[in-house]
Amino acid sequence: MTAGLGEEVYDVFARKNRGEPLHHIGYVDADGEALARIYAWTTYDEENWFEMCVIRRDNIIPVNRADGPWGRNRPPIGEAQ
Amino acid sequence: MTGGKHSSDPPPFARHILSLADTKRILGIRYSDWLLGAPSIETGIAASAMAQDEWGHARLLYSMLKDFGFDPFEVEHERPAARYYSAPALDEPLEDWAGVVAAVAVVDRALEVALESLSSGSFELAQSRIPKMLAEEEFHRSFGDAWFRRLSDAGGEGRKRLESHVGAMLPSTLAWLAPEDGAYAELVSEGLVRSAAEVRDRFDQGFAHLAGAIDIEAAAVEPDRSGWDEMRRRGPGAPAEEAVERARGDRNRALFVE
Repeated sequence: MTAGLGEEVYDVFARKNRGEPLHHIGYVDADGEALARIYAWTTYDEENWFEMCVIRRDNIIPVNRADGPWGRNRPPIGEAQ
Repeated sequence: MTGGKHSSDPPPFARHILSLADTKRILGIRYSDWLLGAPSIETGIAASAMAQDEWGHARLLYSMLKDFGFDPFEVEHERPAARYYSAPALDEPLEDWAGVVAAVAVVDRALEVALESLSSGSFELAQSRIPKMLAEEEFHRSFGDAWFRRLSDAGGEGRKRLESHVGAMLPSTLAWLAPEDGAYAELVSEGLVRSAAEVRDRFDQGFAHLAGAIDIEAAAVEPDRSGWDEMRRRGPGAPAEEAVERARGDRNRALFVE
């Protein structure tokens, strides 16, 4: 999914403590993984995160819904396994 | 003080620390100018984080001067522009985003190399405090490298401006990073910092891949040592008054509580 300035949308996931589940905490627009990491770390720095990850929104495949932010990534019916 | 030796001049090692601290403080101001003018909200937030890092690092470096009999409050809040030791490339505001990217890639990187050099030496406070700064600097370097690549790969006006800013910043920054004067040689001989040749080599190794992207051979760039002032550990000039007023906190003097 393309954002402004030819950037891509990256979703941000994080957990506060070891062993907790990762939570989706937001997204950033970035030109590439290097900037996505920096933007995520500086934009969502309200917590002392134990772990933070980013993933390009185009790479998230929804399983049971066709709406929401990742719905456009759903494979056409018949191709999904 | 614009040249010549005065009885009140700090000793060489204190001048070295001041030079790093002042450069970080002015760099923080230059980053802060772009918090609301960066190409995207995320980029502005990153610039804000980097500005905060630079000011935090500057504060830690200024505090090291206590060991040399200096009052950090006076050093931070009382000096005129002519007694700042900051890298000349930051004297004037960065005029466009390509200038910010060049400053991250050239000046921030030079600072990182200088800090590594200081932390590798025999000064214990530097050994204990600088590693955390270097960890934070990794983000600055990634940010600068990614934006540098973005502008150089895009070509056109952005690349042209980047080339121009890098070309303007490199010679004076290389002279600032690796002084060839007696004061710096003294620090090297005392085991406090790496030799000028070694820090230059480390800078070139880190910067070569970016320089190559805009057809500059990093190792071939000559430092500009014209007008070198050994006592201020930099070339001629001084940071613009507007930056020094902000660095000193002139508008907030009534609120100082230190």
